[in-house]
Amino acid sequence: MGVSTMFDYKRFALGRLVAIAPHYLPFADAASAEVPLSRLLRLSLFQMTVGMALVLMVGTLNRVMIVELQVPATLVALMLALPLVFAPFRALIGFKSDTFRSALGLRRLPWIFKGTMYQFGGFAIMPFALLVLSGYGEAVDAPRWIGLSAAALAFLLVGAGMHIVQTVGLALATDLVPPEDQPKVVGLMYVMLLLGMILSALVYSALLTTYTPGRLIQVIQGTAVVTIFLNGLAMWKQEARDRSRALAPRSETTFTEALQHLSVQPGMLRLLAVIALGTAGFGMADVLLEPFGGQVLNMTVAETTRLTVVLACGSLLGFALASRWLGRDGWQPISVAILGALIGVPAFLMVMASAALLTVPLLIAATLIAGFGAGLFGHGTLTATMRAAPREQIGLSLGAWGAVQTTAAGAAIALGGLIRDVMHVSPDVGAQGAALTGSAAAIPYLPVFGLEAGLLLLALIVAWPLRRQDIDTRQSTAISPSTGIASRQDSIAETRP
Amino acid sequence: MSNDPDKVWPTGLTLREAEEVHSYLIDGTRVFGVIALLAHILVAVTTPWLG
Repeated sequence: MGVSTMFDYKRFALGRLVAIAPHYLPFADAASAEVPLSRLLRLSLFQMTVGMALVLMVGTLNRVMIVELQVPATLVALMLALPLVFAPFRALIGFKSDTFRSALGLRRLPWIFKGTMYQFGGFAIMPFALLVLSGYGEAVDAPRWIGLSAAALAFLLVGAGMHIVQTVGLALATDLVPPEDQPKVVGLMYVMLLLGMILSALVYSALLTTYTPGRLIQVIQGTAVVTIFLNGLAMWKQEARDRSRALAPRSETTFTEALQHLSVQPGMLRLLAVIALGTAGFGMADVLLEPFGGQVLNMTVAETTRLTVVLACGSLLGFALASRWLGRDGWQPISVAILGALIGVPAFLMVMASAALLTVPLLIAATLIAGFGAGLFGHGTLTATMRAAPREQIGLSLGAWGAVQTTAAGAAIALGGLIRDVMHVSPDVGAQGAALTGSAAAIPYLPVFGLEAGLLLLALIVAWPLRRQDIDTRQSTAISPSTGIASRQDSIAETRP
Repeated sequence: MSNDPDKVWPTGLTLREAEEVHSYLIDGTRVFGVIALLAHILVAVTTPWLG
Protein backbone atom coordinates (compact mmCIF):
# COMPACT_ATOMS: atom_id res chain seq x y z
CA MET A 1 0.00 0.00 0.00
CA GLY A 2 2.45 2.54 1.23
CA VAL A 3 4.86 1.70 -1.51
CA SER A 4 2.27 2.17 -4.22
CA THR A 5 1.10 5.58 -2.96
CA MET A 6 4.71 6.62 -2.71
CA PHE A 7 5.15 5.52 -6.29
CA ASP A 8 2.15 7.53 -7.43
CA TYR A 9 3.48 10.57 -5.68
CA LYS A 10 6.79 10.17 -7.43
CA ARG A 11 5.11 9.80 -10.76
CA PHE A 12 3.01 12.85 -10.12
CA ALA A 13 5.99 14.95 -9.10
CA LEU A 14 8.00 13.70 -12.04
CA GLY A 15 5.19 14.61 -14.42
CA ARG A 16 4.96 18.11 -12.96
CA LEU A 17 8.68 18.63 -13.12
CA VAL A 18 8.89 17.46 -16.69
CA ALA A 19 6.09 19.84 -17.58
CA ILE A 20 7.69 22.91 -15.99
CA ALA A 21 11.30 22.16 -16.59
CA PRO A 22 11.72 23.14 -20.26
CA HIS A 23 11.01 26.79 -19.45
CA TYR A 24 13.94 26.93 -17.07
CA LEU A 25 16.48 24.87 -18.94
CA PRO A 26 19.09 26.35 -21.22
CA PHE A 27 18.25 23.98 -24.06
CA ALA A 28 16.20 24.61 -27.15
CA ASP A 29 12.79 22.90 -27.03
CA ALA A 30 13.37 21.14 -30.30
CA ALA A 31 15.53 21.45 -33.36
CA SER A 32 13.03 23.63 -35.15
CA ALA A 33 13.34 24.03 -38.87
CA GLU A 34 12.82 27.78 -38.83
CA VAL A 35 15.01 29.91 -36.58
CA PRO A 36 13.57 33.42 -36.20
CA LEU A 37 15.79 36.43 -36.72
CA SER A 38 15.43 37.54 -33.09
CA ARG A 39 16.99 34.27 -31.95
CA LEU A 40 19.87 34.64 -34.40
CA LEU A 41 20.36 38.20 -33.22
CA ARG A 42 20.57 36.95 -29.65
CA LEU A 43 23.01 34.21 -30.67
CA SER A 44 25.29 36.74 -32.32
CA LEU A 45 25.79 38.50 -28.97
CA PHE A 46 28.75 36.20 -28.28
CA GLN A 47 30.58 38.02 -31.06
CA MET A 48 30.13 41.21 -29.05
CA THR A 49 32.09 39.75 -26.13
CA VAL A 50 34.83 38.70 -28.55
CA GLY A 51 34.92 42.25 -29.90
CA MET A 52 35.07 43.61 -26.35
CA ALA A 53 37.99 41.38 -25.44
CA LEU A 54 39.82 42.35 -28.66
CA VAL A 55 39.41 46.08 -28.07
CA LEU A 56 40.34 45.83 -24.42
CA MET A 57 43.53 43.92 -25.13
CA VAL A 58 44.75 45.36 -28.42
CA GLY A 59 43.51 48.93 -27.93
CA THR A 60 42.91 49.98 -24.35
CA LEU A 61 45.35 47.84 -22.37
CA ASN A 62 48.02 48.35 -25.00
CA ARG A 63 47.94 52.04 -24.17
CA VAL A 64 47.30 51.76 -20.43
CA MET A 65 50.17 49.32 -19.92
CA ILE A 66 52.65 51.49 -21.81
CA VAL A 67 51.56 54.98 -20.74
CA GLU A 68 50.01 54.61 -17.29
CA LEU A 69 51.67 51.45 -15.99
CA GLN A 70 55.03 52.08 -17.69
CA VAL A 71 55.56 48.49 -18.75
CA PRO A 72 58.25 48.20 -21.46
CA ALA A 73 56.68 48.28 -24.95
CA THR A 74 58.31 45.05 -26.13
CA LEU A 75 56.95 43.20 -23.10
CA VAL A 76 53.48 44.62 -23.78
CA ALA A 77 53.65 43.52 -27.41
CA LEU A 78 54.75 40.06 -26.30
CA MET A 79 51.90 39.77 -23.79
CA LEU A 80 49.29 40.92 -26.30
CA ALA A 81 50.60 38.44 -28.87
CA LEU A 82 50.16 35.53 -26.44
CA PRO A 83 46.50 34.81 -27.34
CA LEU A 84 47.66 34.24 -30.92
CA VAL A 85 49.48 31.15 -29.68
CA PHE A 86 46.07 29.53 -29.32
CA ALA A 87 44.82 30.41 -32.80
CA PRO A 88 46.02 27.19 -34.49
CA PHE A 89 44.25 25.19 -31.79
CA ARG A 90 40.91 26.44 -33.08
CA ALA A 91 40.79 23.56 -35.54
CA LEU A 92 41.30 21.12 -32.66
CA ILE A 93 38.61 22.84 -30.58
CA GLY A 94 36.20 22.63 -33.50
CA PHE A 95 36.99 18.95 -33.99
CA LYS A 96 36.55 18.23 -30.28
CA SER A 97 33.17 19.89 -30.28
CA ASP A 98 32.13 17.95 -33.40
CA THR A 99 32.90 14.65 -31.74
CA PHE A 100 32.03 15.62 -28.17
CA ARG A 101 30.51 12.81 -26.13
CA SER A 102 27.67 14.01 -23.98
CA ALA A 103 24.96 12.06 -22.21
CA LEU A 104 22.81 15.16 -22.57
CA GLY A 105 23.22 15.08 -26.35
CA LEU A 106 24.93 18.45 -26.48
CA ARG A 107 28.14 19.28 -28.28
CA ARG A 108 28.45 23.07 -28.58
CA LEU A 109 27.01 24.35 -25.30
CA PRO A 110 29.54 22.69 -22.94
CA TRP A 111 32.41 24.20 -24.93
CA ILE A 112 30.94 27.66 -24.91
CA PHE A 113 30.46 27.30 -21.16
CA LYS A 114 34.12 26.39 -20.79
CA GLY A 115 35.28 29.17 -23.10
CA THR A 116 33.21 31.75 -21.24
CA MET A 117 34.63 30.50 -17.97
CA TYR A 118 38.20 30.99 -19.18
CA GLN A 119 37.38 34.43 -20.56
CA PHE A 120 35.84 35.42 -17.24
CA GLY A 121 38.71 33.94 -15.25
CA GLY A 122 41.30 35.76 -17.32
CA PHE A 123 39.57 39.09 -16.89
CA ALA A 124 39.10 38.45 -13.17
CA ILE A 125 42.82 38.21 -12.46
CA MET A 126 44.03 40.52 -15.23
CA PRO A 127 43.89 43.90 -13.43
CA PHE A 128 45.78 42.61 -10.38
CA ALA A 129 48.28 40.84 -12.60
CA LEU A 130 48.89 44.11 -14.48
CA LEU A 131 49.26 46.07 -11.24
CA VAL A 132 51.79 43.54 -9.92
CA LEU A 133 53.59 43.59 -13.27
CA SER A 134 53.92 47.37 -13.15
CA GLY A 135 55.18 47.27 -9.55
CA TYR A 136 52.23 49.16 -8.07
CA GLY A 137 52.09 49.52 -4.27
CA GLU A 138 53.95 46.84 -2.34
CA ALA A 139 54.47 44.85 -5.52
CA VAL A 140 57.74 46.73 -6.14
CA ASP A 141 59.45 44.31 -3.79
CA ALA A 142 57.74 41.24 -5.20
CA PRO A 143 59.80 38.90 -7.37
CA ARG A 144 59.51 39.76 -11.07
CA TRP A 145 58.23 36.34 -12.13
CA ILE A 146 54.96 36.72 -10.19
CA GLY A 147 53.77 39.66 -12.25
CA LEU A 148 55.07 38.22 -15.51
CA SER A 149 53.52 34.79 -15.13
CA ALA A 150 50.24 36.13 -13.76
CA ALA A 151 49.84 38.61 -16.62
CA ALA A 152 50.78 35.95 -19.16
CA LEU A 153 48.25 33.57 -17.63
CA ALA A 154 45.53 36.23 -17.72
CA PHE A 155 46.11 37.02 -21.39
CA LEU A 156 46.34 33.31 -22.25
CA LEU A 157 43.06 32.58 -20.47
CA VAL A 158 41.20 35.41 -22.18
CA GLY A 159 42.69 34.48 -25.55
CA ALA A 160 41.86 30.79 -25.17
CA GLY A 161 38.34 31.56 -24.03
CA MET A 162 37.83 33.97 -26.92
CA HIS A 163 39.00 31.41 -29.49
CA ILE A 164 36.82 28.67 -28.01
CA VAL A 165 33.70 30.84 -27.80
CA GLN A 166 34.07 32.18 -31.33
CA THR A 167 34.86 28.85 -32.98
CA VAL A 168 32.13 26.87 -31.27
CA GLY A 169 29.65 29.74 -31.44
CA LEU A 170 30.05 29.99 -35.21
CA ALA A 171 29.71 26.22 -35.48
CA LEU A 172 26.47 26.39 -33.48
CA ALA A 173 25.16 29.13 -35.75
CA THR A 174 25.95 26.98 -38.79
CA ASP A 175 24.17 24.03 -37.15
CA LEU A 176 21.06 26.08 -36.57
CA VAL A 177 20.32 27.67 -39.92
CA PRO A 178 19.59 26.14 -43.32
CA PRO A 179 22.23 26.90 -46.00
CA GLU A 180 20.20 29.64 -47.68
CA ASP A 181 20.11 31.60 -44.42
CA GLN A 182 23.85 31.30 -43.78
CA PRO A 183 24.78 34.59 -45.51
CA LYS A 184 22.36 36.37 -43.19
CA VAL A 185 23.99 34.77 -40.15
CA VAL A 186 27.51 35.54 -41.35
CA GLY A 187 26.55 39.17 -41.92
CA LEU A 188 25.00 39.33 -38.48
CA MET A 189 28.08 37.82 -36.84
CA TYR A 190 30.46 40.27 -38.51
CA VAL A 191 28.25 43.26 -37.77
CA MET A 192 27.99 42.25 -34.12
CA LEU A 193 31.76 41.84 -33.84
CA LEU A 194 32.26 45.30 -35.31
CA LEU A 195 29.48 46.78 -33.18
CA GLY A 196 30.99 45.21 -30.06
CA MET A 197 34.36 46.70 -30.91
CA ILE A 198 33.01 50.19 -31.63
CA LEU A 199 30.74 50.29 -28.57
CA SER A 200 33.34 48.96 -26.17
CA ALA A 201 36.00 51.32 -27.56
CA LEU A 202 33.68 54.25 -26.83
CA VAL A 203 32.78 52.96 -23.35
CA TYR A 204 36.39 52.20 -22.40
CA SER A 205 37.65 55.58 -23.51
CA ALA A 206 34.86 57.30 -21.56
CA LEU A 207 35.48 55.23 -18.42
CA LEU A 208 39.26 55.52 -18.47
CA THR A 209 39.56 59.27 -19.19
CA THR A 210 40.70 59.73 -15.60
CA TYR A 211 42.88 56.73 -14.93
CA THR A 212 43.21 55.29 -11.44
CA PRO A 213 44.25 51.75 -10.52
CA GLY A 214 40.83 51.26 -8.94
CA ARG A 215 39.13 52.33 -12.15
CA LEU A 216 41.26 49.87 -14.13
CA ILE A 217 40.13 47.03 -11.84
CA GLN A 218 36.49 48.10 -12.19
CA VAL A 219 36.66 48.31 -15.97
CA ILE A 220 38.35 44.96 -16.55
CA GLN A 221 36.27 43.06 -14.01
CA GLY A 222 33.16 44.78 -15.33
CA THR A 223 34.12 43.40 -18.72
CA ALA A 224 34.29 39.94 -17.16
CA VAL A 225 30.74 40.23 -15.80
CA VAL A 226 29.35 41.64 -19.04
CA THR A 227 31.07 38.81 -20.93
CA ILE A 228 29.50 36.07 -18.85
CA PHE A 229 26.11 37.80 -19.01
CA LEU A 230 26.11 38.33 -22.79
CA ASN A 231 27.43 34.84 -23.54
CA GLY A 232 24.78 33.35 -21.28
CA LEU A 233 22.09 35.38 -23.00
CA ALA A 234 23.44 34.39 -26.42
CA MET A 235 23.48 30.66 -25.69
CA TRP A 236 20.22 30.37 -23.79
CA LYS A 237 17.90 27.84 -25.45
CA GLN A 238 19.91 27.72 -28.66
CA GLU A 239 21.14 24.16 -28.88
CA ALA A 240 18.64 21.32 -28.90
CA ARG A 241 19.32 18.11 -26.99
CA ASP A 242 19.82 15.28 -29.38
CA ARG A 243 19.04 11.87 -27.93
CA SER A 244 20.32 10.00 -30.96
CA ARG A 245 23.66 11.78 -30.67
CA ALA A 246 23.84 10.93 -26.97
CA LEU A 247 23.26 7.24 -27.66
CA ALA A 248 25.51 7.04 -30.72
CA PRO A 249 28.68 4.98 -30.25
CA ARG A 250 31.89 6.88 -29.65
CA SER A 251 33.41 8.17 -32.85
CA GLU A 252 36.71 6.50 -33.65
CA THR A 253 38.03 9.22 -35.98
CA THR A 254 41.20 10.87 -34.78
CA PHE A 255 42.02 14.52 -35.32
CA THR A 256 44.52 13.81 -38.10
CA GLU A 257 42.02 11.59 -39.91
CA ALA A 258 39.38 14.28 -39.65
CA LEU A 259 41.83 16.88 -40.96
CA GLN A 260 42.71 14.63 -43.88
CA HIS A 261 39.04 14.11 -44.63
CA LEU A 262 38.52 17.85 -44.59
CA SER A 263 41.54 18.60 -46.76
CA VAL A 264 40.43 16.22 -49.51
CA GLN A 265 37.16 18.16 -49.82
CA PRO A 266 37.43 19.73 -53.26
CA GLY A 267 38.64 23.31 -53.03
CA MET A 268 38.99 23.38 -49.23
CA LEU A 269 42.77 23.84 -49.09
CA ARG A 270 42.62 26.41 -51.87
CA LEU A 271 39.90 28.28 -50.00
CA LEU A 272 42.00 28.33 -46.82
CA ALA A 273 44.97 29.64 -48.81
CA VAL A 274 42.78 32.41 -50.22
CA ILE A 275 41.62 33.28 -46.70
CA ALA A 276 45.21 33.45 -45.43
CA LEU A 277 46.43 35.65 -48.30
CA GLY A 278 43.42 37.97 -48.36
CA THR A 279 43.18 38.39 -44.61
CA ALA A 280 46.89 39.19 -44.44
CA GLY A 281 46.46 41.64 -47.31
CA PHE A 282 43.56 43.50 -45.75
CA GLY A 283 44.75 43.18 -42.14
CA MET A 284 48.23 44.63 -42.51
CA ALA A 285 46.99 48.21 -42.68
CA ASP A 286 44.74 47.98 -39.62
CA VAL A 287 47.25 49.41 -37.18
CA LEU A 288 49.23 51.47 -39.71
CA LEU A 289 46.51 53.64 -41.25
CA GLU A 290 46.28 55.94 -38.23
CA PRO A 291 50.01 56.62 -37.85
CA PHE A 292 50.23 56.97 -41.63
CA GLY A 293 47.53 59.65 -41.63
CA GLY A 294 49.17 61.41 -38.72
CA GLN A 295 52.77 61.33 -39.89
CA VAL A 296 52.39 61.68 -43.62
CA LEU A 297 49.27 63.78 -44.06
CA ASN A 298 49.53 65.69 -40.78
CA MET A 299 46.08 64.66 -39.65
CA THR A 300 45.12 65.29 -36.01
CA VAL A 301 44.34 62.47 -33.56
CA ALA A 302 40.61 63.11 -33.94
CA GLU A 303 40.94 62.93 -37.71
CA THR A 304 42.93 59.69 -37.71
CA THR A 305 40.43 58.14 -35.30
CA ARG A 306 37.76 59.07 -37.83
CA LEU A 307 39.83 57.20 -40.39
CA THR A 308 39.28 54.00 -38.41
CA VAL A 309 35.57 54.80 -38.21
CA VAL A 310 35.50 55.24 -42.00
CA LEU A 311 37.20 51.85 -42.39
CA ALA A 312 34.57 50.26 -40.14
CA CYS A 313 31.74 51.96 -42.06
CA GLY A 314 33.13 50.61 -45.33
CA SER A 315 33.20 47.11 -43.83
CA LEU A 316 29.60 47.47 -42.59
CA LEU A 317 28.53 48.43 -46.10
CA GLY A 318 30.43 45.43 -47.43
CA PHE A 319 28.73 43.03 -45.01
CA ALA A 320 25.29 44.42 -45.81
CA LEU A 321 25.73 44.20 -49.58
CA ALA A 322 27.36 40.77 -49.36
CA SER A 323 24.43 39.45 -47.30
CA ARG A 324 22.05 40.76 -49.93
CA TRP A 325 23.97 39.42 -52.92
CA LEU A 326 24.53 36.02 -51.35
CA GLY A 327 21.07 35.66 -49.88
CA ARG A 328 18.55 37.18 -52.25
CA ASP A 329 20.52 37.33 -55.48
CA GLY A 330 22.10 33.90 -55.09
CA TRP A 331 25.70 34.82 -55.84
CA GLN A 332 28.47 32.31 -55.21
CA PRO A 333 30.29 33.20 -51.95
CA ILE A 334 33.65 32.93 -53.67
CA SER A 335 32.59 35.47 -56.31
CA VAL A 336 31.82 37.95 -53.55
CA ALA A 337 35.23 37.28 -51.98
CA ILE A 338 36.93 37.75 -55.36
CA LEU A 339 35.08 41.03 -55.88
CA GLY A 340 36.26 42.14 -52.42
CA ALA A 341 39.90 41.41 -53.25
CA LEU A 342 39.47 43.08 -56.67
CA ILE A 343 38.25 46.22 -54.93
CA GLY A 344 41.04 46.03 -52.35
CA VAL A 345 43.91 46.21 -54.84
CA PRO A 346 43.11 49.69 -56.26
CA ALA A 347 42.20 50.87 -52.74
CA PHE A 348 45.74 50.29 -51.49
CA LEU A 349 47.19 51.77 -54.66
CA MET A 350 45.07 54.84 -53.90
CA VAL A 351 46.52 54.96 -50.37
CA MET A 352 49.99 55.00 -51.91
CA ALA A 353 48.91 57.71 -54.33
CA SER A 354 47.58 59.81 -51.45
CA ALA A 355 51.08 59.84 -49.99
CA ALA A 356 52.51 61.16 -53.24
CA LEU A 357 49.79 63.76 -53.78
CA LEU A 358 49.33 64.58 -50.07
CA THR A 359 45.56 64.76 -50.38
CA VAL A 360 43.51 63.77 -47.34
CA PRO A 361 40.20 63.20 -49.21
CA LEU A 362 41.91 60.61 -51.41
CA LEU A 363 43.12 58.72 -48.34
CA ILE A 364 39.64 58.80 -46.79
CA ALA A 365 38.08 57.53 -50.01
CA ALA A 366 40.73 54.81 -50.25
CA THR A 367 40.08 53.79 -46.64
CA LEU A 368 36.35 53.53 -47.29
CA ILE A 369 36.94 51.39 -50.36
CA ALA A 370 39.46 49.19 -48.56
CA GLY A 371 36.97 48.67 -45.73
CA PHE A 372 34.26 47.84 -48.25
CA GLY A 373 36.51 45.30 -49.98
CA ALA A 374 37.51 43.77 -46.64
CA GLY A 375 33.83 43.43 -45.70
CA LEU A 376 32.98 41.67 -48.96
CA PHE A 377 36.03 39.44 -48.71
CA GLY A 378 35.45 38.45 -45.07
CA HIS A 379 31.77 37.74 -45.63
CA GLY A 380 32.36 35.79 -48.84
CA THR A 381 35.09 33.56 -47.44
CA LEU A 382 33.28 32.75 -44.17
CA THR A 383 30.08 31.91 -46.04
CA ALA A 384 32.10 29.79 -48.46
CA THR A 385 33.63 27.92 -45.51
CA MET A 386 30.20 27.28 -43.99
CA ARG A 387 28.84 26.02 -47.31
CA ALA A 388 31.87 23.82 -47.92
CA ALA A 389 31.76 22.28 -44.44
CA PRO A 390 30.58 18.67 -44.37
CA ARG A 391 27.64 18.38 -41.95
CA GLU A 392 29.51 16.34 -39.35
CA GLN A 393 32.65 18.49 -39.61
CA ILE A 394 31.20 21.96 -39.18
CA GLY A 395 33.20 22.64 -36.02
CA LEU A 396 36.44 21.51 -37.60
CA SER A 397 35.86 23.55 -40.78
CA LEU A 398 35.08 26.72 -38.88
CA GLY A 399 37.98 26.00 -36.56
CA ALA A 400 40.26 25.78 -39.58
CA TRP A 401 38.79 29.04 -40.90
CA GLY A 402 39.42 30.74 -37.55
CA ALA A 403 42.91 29.32 -37.18
CA VAL A 404 43.96 30.48 -40.64
CA GLN A 405 42.19 33.83 -40.41
CA THR A 406 43.46 34.79 -36.93
CA THR A 407 47.00 33.61 -37.55
CA ALA A 408 47.18 35.42 -40.89
CA ALA A 409 45.81 38.64 -39.42
CA GLY A 410 48.17 38.51 -36.43
CA ALA A 411 51.20 37.70 -38.55
CA ALA A 412 50.28 40.44 -41.04
CA ILE A 413 49.94 43.10 -38.34
CA ALA A 414 53.27 42.07 -36.81
CA LEU A 415 54.98 41.98 -40.21
CA GLY A 416 53.51 45.34 -41.25
CA GLY A 417 54.76 46.97 -38.05
CA LEU A 418 58.15 45.32 -38.45
CA ILE A 419 58.60 46.48 -42.06
CA ARG A 420 57.66 50.03 -41.15
CA ASP A 421 59.99 50.11 -38.13
CA VAL A 422 62.91 48.62 -40.05
CA MET A 423 62.47 51.10 -42.89
CA HIS A 424 62.11 53.87 -40.35
CA VAL A 425 65.51 53.36 -38.78
CA SER A 426 67.44 52.31 -41.85
CA PRO A 427 70.02 55.04 -42.60
CA ASP A 428 69.19 55.68 -46.26
CA VAL A 429 65.67 56.73 -45.33
CA GLY A 430 67.10 59.43 -43.13
CA ALA A 431 68.35 59.40 -39.57
CA GLN A 432 65.95 62.20 -38.75
CA GLY A 433 63.09 59.80 -39.65
CA ALA A 434 60.74 60.84 -36.87
CA ALA A 435 60.99 64.50 -37.74
CA LEU A 436 60.05 63.93 -41.36
CA THR A 437 56.55 64.67 -42.52
CA GLY A 438 54.93 64.64 -45.93
CA SER A 439 56.00 62.40 -48.79
CA ALA A 440 59.41 61.59 -47.26
CA ALA A 441 57.75 60.22 -44.13
CA ALA A 442 55.65 57.96 -46.33
CA ILE A 443 58.64 55.87 -47.41
CA PRO A 444 58.45 53.39 -44.48
CA TYR A 445 54.74 52.84 -45.16
CA LEU A 446 54.82 52.42 -48.92
CA PRO A 447 56.30 48.89 -48.97
CA VAL A 448 53.58 47.76 -46.55
CA PHE A 449 50.73 49.10 -48.69
CA GLY A 450 52.44 47.74 -51.80
CA LEU A 451 52.74 44.33 -50.14
CA GLU A 452 49.05 44.43 -49.26
CA ALA A 453 48.06 45.04 -52.85
CA GLY A 454 50.43 42.23 -53.89
CA LEU A 455 48.95 39.77 -51.37
CA LEU A 456 45.45 40.58 -52.59
CA LEU A 457 46.55 39.97 -56.18
CA LEU A 458 47.95 36.60 -55.08
CA ALA A 459 44.68 35.80 -53.32
CA LEU A 460 42.85 36.65 -56.55
CA ILE A 461 45.05 34.32 -58.57
CA VAL A 462 44.54 31.48 -56.10
CA ALA A 463 40.80 32.10 -55.82
CA TRP A 464 40.07 32.39 -59.53
CA PRO A 465 39.75 28.62 -60.28
CA LEU A 466 37.35 28.24 -57.33
CA ARG A 467 34.68 30.14 -59.25
CA ARG A 468 34.09 27.21 -61.58
CA GLN A 469 34.44 24.57 -58.91
CA ASP A 470 31.43 23.68 -56.81
CA ILE A 471 32.82 23.64 -53.29
CA ASP A 472 29.36 23.40 -51.83
CA THR A 473 29.04 19.84 -50.57
CA ARG A 474 25.42 20.24 -49.58
CA GLN A 475 24.09 21.95 -52.64
CA SER A 476 25.74 19.29 -54.75
CA THR A 477 22.64 17.26 -53.91
CA ALA A 478 21.04 19.78 -56.27
CA ILE A 479 17.76 20.85 -54.79
CA SER A 480 16.11 24.18 -55.45
CA PRO A 481 16.37 26.80 -52.68
CA SER A 482 12.59 26.98 -52.31
CA THR A 483 12.53 23.52 -50.74
CA GLY A 484 15.60 24.32 -48.70
CA ILE A 485 14.44 22.79 -45.43
CA ALA A 486 13.53 19.46 -46.91
CA SER A 487 16.68 19.34 -48.97
CA ARG A 488 18.76 20.01 -45.91
CA GLN A 489 17.28 17.03 -44.11
CA ASP A 490 17.92 14.89 -47.17
CA SER A 491 21.47 15.96 -47.51
CA ILE A 492 22.13 15.37 -43.83
CA ALA A 493 20.91 11.84 -44.26
CA GLU A 494 23.14 11.46 -47.28
CA THR A 495 26.30 12.82 -45.74
CA ARG A 496 25.93 10.69 -42.62
CA PRO A 497 28.09 7.58 -42.89
CA MET B 1 6.64 11.22 -21.33
CA SER B 2 8.27 7.82 -21.50
CA ASN B 3 8.82 5.62 -18.50
CA ASP B 4 12.53 5.19 -19.03
CA PRO B 5 13.76 2.98 -16.17
CA ASP B 6 17.09 4.83 -16.19
CA LYS B 7 15.41 8.07 -15.19
CA VAL B 8 15.98 8.92 -11.57
CA TRP B 9 13.82 10.91 -9.23
CA PRO B 10 13.29 13.88 -8.97
CA THR B 11 14.86 15.48 -12.05
CA GLY B 12 13.86 12.97 -14.72
CA LEU B 13 17.45 12.83 -15.92
CA THR B 14 19.12 9.50 -16.46
CA LEU B 15 22.03 8.67 -14.22
CA ARG B 16 24.59 9.47 -16.92
CA GLU B 17 22.92 12.79 -17.70
CA ALA B 18 22.86 13.71 -14.04
CA GLU B 19 26.54 12.84 -13.73
CA GLU B 20 27.35 15.04 -16.70
CA VAL B 21 25.50 18.02 -15.26
CA HIS B 22 27.34 17.41 -12.01
CA SER B 23 30.69 17.32 -13.81
CA TYR B 24 30.06 20.81 -15.23
CA LEU B 25 29.30 22.06 -11.74
CA ILE B 26 32.46 20.50 -10.36
CA ASP B 27 34.57 21.85 -13.25
CA GLY B 28 33.18 25.32 -12.77
CA THR B 29 33.80 25.25 -9.05
CA ARG B 30 37.38 24.12 -9.54
CA VAL B 31 38.21 26.71 -12.18
CA PHE B 32 36.56 29.58 -10.35
CA GLY B 33 38.14 28.41 -7.08
CA VAL B 34 41.63 28.52 -8.57
CA ILE B 35 40.91 31.89 -10.20
CA ALA B 36 39.69 33.36 -6.91
CA LEU B 37 42.74 32.01 -5.08
CA LEU B 38 45.08 33.52 -7.69
CA ALA B 39 43.29 36.87 -7.57
CA HIS B 40 43.61 36.94 -3.77
CA ILE B 41 47.33 36.15 -3.92
CA LEU B 42 47.91 38.91 -6.49
CA VAL B 43 45.96 41.46 -4.44
CA ALA B 44 47.93 40.43 -1.37
CA VAL B 45 51.14 41.08 -3.28
CA THR B 46 50.13 44.66 -4.20
CA THR B 47 48.30 45.64 -1.02
CA PRO B 48 49.05 43.16 1.80
CA TRP B 49 46.26 42.88 4.33
CA LEU B 50 47.83 40.29 6.61
CA GLY B 51 50.81 41.13 8.79
